[in-house]
Formats: sequence, structure tokens, C-alpha cells
Amino acid sequence: MSFRHRSRHYDDRRTDDSRSSRGASRWSHCRKRGADGNLRPQDAPDSTVFDDAGKGVKSRIHPDRRPASFTTPESAGPVSRCADWGSEVEQEEIRSGVRRDMQRYRRRILAGDFNERERKTSSGSSDSRDSPIPAEMETDEVVLMRRQKQINYGKNTLAYDRYIQEVPKHLRQPGIHPRTPNKFKKYSRRSWDQQIKLWRVKLHAWDPPVQEGSDLQAIEEIDLDEIMEIESGTGNSEESGATVQYPKASKGPVTVPEDSCSGTPSKVMKTEAAFDLEMCLNEVEDSKLLGL
Amino acid sequence: MENSAKDDYRIQSFDMETQKLLKTALKEPGAVDLEKVSNVIVDQSLKDHVFSKEAGRICYTIVQAEAKQSNGSAFRRSLLNRLQQEFKAREETRERSLQEWVCYVTFICNIFDYLKVNNMPMMALVHPVYDCLFRLAQSDSLKNEEEVDCLVLQLHRIGDQLERMNVQRMDELFCLLRDGFLLHDGLSSMARLLLLEILEFRAGGWKLSDTAQKYYYSEVAD
Repeated sequence: MSFRHRSRHYDDRRTDDSRSSRGASRWSHCRKRGADGNLRPQDAPDSTVFDDAGKGVKSRIHPDRRPASFTTPESAGPVSRCADWGSEVEQEEIRSGVRRDMQRYRRRILAGDFNERERKTSSGSSDSRDSPIPAEMETDEVVLMRRQKQINYGKNTLAYDRYIQEVPKHLRQPGIHPRTPNKFKKYSRRSWDQQIKLWRVKLHAWDPPVQEGSDLQAIEEIDLDEIMEIESGTGNSEESGATVQYPKASKGPVTVPEDSCSGTPSKVMKTEAAFDLEMCLNEVEDSKLLGL
Repeated sequence: MENSAKDDYRIQSFDMETQKLLKTALKEPGAVDLEKVSNVIVDQSLKDHVFSKEAGRICYTIVQAEAKQSNGSAFRRSLLNRLQQEFKAREETRERSLQEWVCYVTFICNIFDYLKVNNMPMMALVHPVYDCLFRLAQSDSLKNEEEVDCLVLQLHRIGDQLERMNVQRMDELFCLLRDGFLLHDGLSSMARLLLLEILEFRAGGWKLSDTAQKYYYSEVAD
């Protein structure tokens, strides 16, 4: 029901400021898509540069008439609940996907074959993955959508594509290969975030080889990763899109609304006019020269 | 493949370069600038009324192709955001050019009809589409046959879907239409006929009874 009301907020938002509230992610060099939302060649060198440009140039501007209360004070840019129709529809897509998955999951529990399959493929590690007790199913849609978004972030990487191509499902070994966390199990926020983090770290092994001549990028990535580690350690990690954008600002309590419409990373990226792109790239060149 | 033939037919109205862009977008969306593609399609829809009625099909095909190729939705995103931009400027558009405004409503309704999210209409478009139709039901628009025609056509096409998404607003809209039909002085008899038909159409569960069908469509034959 609530989304009906929310969809009334379509009216007076600018379409493009949502982009400035998201930017480089920790894994941005392995993103399947560039900042323009298009698939990018595996070794495209400019993606990170561009993301940083977005961070440096765009996010400090409050580009429109948006009242200050719409922005998150600790961060440098506006974080709106539903910035534009594109994001809204992506939100819808995740929501209805989660509902569909939930029904599927329930059917599997009912059908009874769930337990078996789970046992065969699961890691048997110390966590509670192997006890699918239907009563302990996570049914909170807000939680499920948040988790789905985190999973999407992981799956929208080149590493994930490479992984599922290189290792067919039946060859994946518990404990060795990454396994997507089960979003329907009851976990504490901290435990879930940790599972996601470990999953992402494991997926990292399938990153495309880093190209020569992109040392600078590599260094930037490492820096971002370290910041993320710290945040994850405090149990405050949010979806990467929101946190990484303002690494310094978000060390305090998390202020990003949990269901801010950040969508999935592939979809977050939006095409910039070629002109802007050029400008941003130049800006970055300049700031690099200045030692930033 | 009947679809792609139709798409091809529609694409003929563009210049060669744009045709090439659109054809590539249909086959290999990752290879083109999808924002540019969405802008080309919207621009053409706002100019060309015939195109605006069918552009949803092309958009649908590109969305499918992109999802299949890369699991992405960049095209849909920029299409919707452009639509939103135009939506915000709709009053100015209407003032500037009735034809463009009618094209816009036709286009957004067509998109609503064709693009689905997990087989459901896009919630995000429900209220905007209603807002457009409400605008067409205002008294100044009812004086204008072009706008009444557009309103009625959209309700024929997507009325039942819209109603399922939000009955209350459809009820409100039909109150306006009844009032318009009954109380509005400036209506042409053609506009009245169109309104009467759509009132019957909805009352019959979004279809016309055989006798109504006969009444509205076979007089000429007699």
C-alpha cells in the first residue's frame, strides 16, 4: 500500500541529481557498466576516473530547489527517497522480484525438496544456513529489498560474470567458492552485512586482470576498500553506492535512509551528456596534476 | 518476428543515421548510447502522432534486448526520466502546441501499456498517466475535439489496466466525464458522442455491448 502513496512524489523532483548522490563504488573498476550505464569493455580505463569526477565535481553542488531537509547533512549531496521515475521503477522491480522470490521460496519449503537441495550444496560451515526452519523466514519487505540490493551489487560485477562462467554450479564447492547469502534467513543486520562482505571478498578472486598503466586506479581502489573495511567492522556498512560516495562523512551513525532509492549499480549509472563527460574528465586530469 | 517487421516499418520515418542507431539498439543495445536512443524516440513521438501510438512497441523491444544482453535497464531509465521531464513541463507544452501535448499523452499511455515490470504495469506511471487524463477532462480541453479524442482513445486502450491499479482515481475521472457530458455548454456533438461512448464502455466492464457497438459504429453503413 505504502508505495502507492509514494509514487505520488513523482512530480517535482529533478531527474538528474540522483546520480550525484552515488558514485564510485569500492569495486568500480570491475563494474560491468560505465558511468553512462552502458556495458563497458573489461579494461576500460576511464570508469573510475569518471566516478571520481562525479564525486569531486557534482556532489558538492545542490543543483536545484531541493530544500535542505531533503539532503543528508553529513554527506555532501542530496539523498532523496525517490529521485525519478527511472529509480522508482527499479525500486518496483526489486520489490516485486522479492515478492516473487518469497513465494518461490515458500513453495520450495512446502514441496519439501528444499531441505535436500540446501544440504547438498551448502557449505556446512558454522553458520545457521543449514537449518531452514520456515518459521524463521525473513519476511520484512524492507529488509528483503535492502538485502536484494546488496546482492545485486555483488552480481553486477565483472567478477561475478566471470565466476559463474568459469565455475558451473555443480562444480562449486562449499567453503571454497563464494555462495550468495540466503536473503530469506533470519540474520542480524551485522551478521548479514558480514556475509555479504565475505561473499564480495571471495568474488574478488574473479576480478578481471588489472591492466598495465592503471596503477593509479589500483591505488584508489585499495584506499576505498580500506575505508569500507573500517565501516563494515563497525557494523554500519550500507549499500556501497551510498557509503563509498562519502567515505569520510559516513563514519558517524548511518544517515542514509535504508530504502533510499539507490537501485542496483548497473541501473544507478545514467548516461551523461558527452559534453559533461568531457568536462568531468578534464577536471579529474587537473586535480590529479594538483596532487589530489 | 512480425514484431520486428513492424518496428522496421516504423523506423522508416527517421533519417538514415537514426535508422541505423535504432536498428542497432534493437539488436545490440550495448553497442549504442541508449540515452540518445531514448531521446530520439521521445522527440519523434512528440512530433509524429502516428509514431506516438506505436512507439511503445519499439521501446519494449529495446528494453527486452537490453535486459537479455546485459541484465541492464539503462534505456528504460533514461526513457522514463525523459518522460518525467516532459511531464513536468506539460502545461507549457499544452500551451505551446496542442498537437505536441496530445502526442505526449498518447506516448506515455503507450509506454504504460507496453512496458511492464515483472508483468505488472509500472506503479510509477499510474498517477502521471491519471494526471494527464484528468487534464484532458478539464473543461477547456473538453471543448477541443482533438483532446477529447485522445482522452477517449487512451481510456479504450488502457482504461481497464489503470482502473485495476487505482479504482478511486478512475471513479473521480469518470465523475468529471459525466459532468462534462451533462453540464458542459461548449461541447461539440462529436465530443458528446465520444464521451457517451466511453461512459458506456466503462459501464459495460471496459467493453461495448453488441447493441452499443452497433449504435456507435454501424450507422454509417446504414
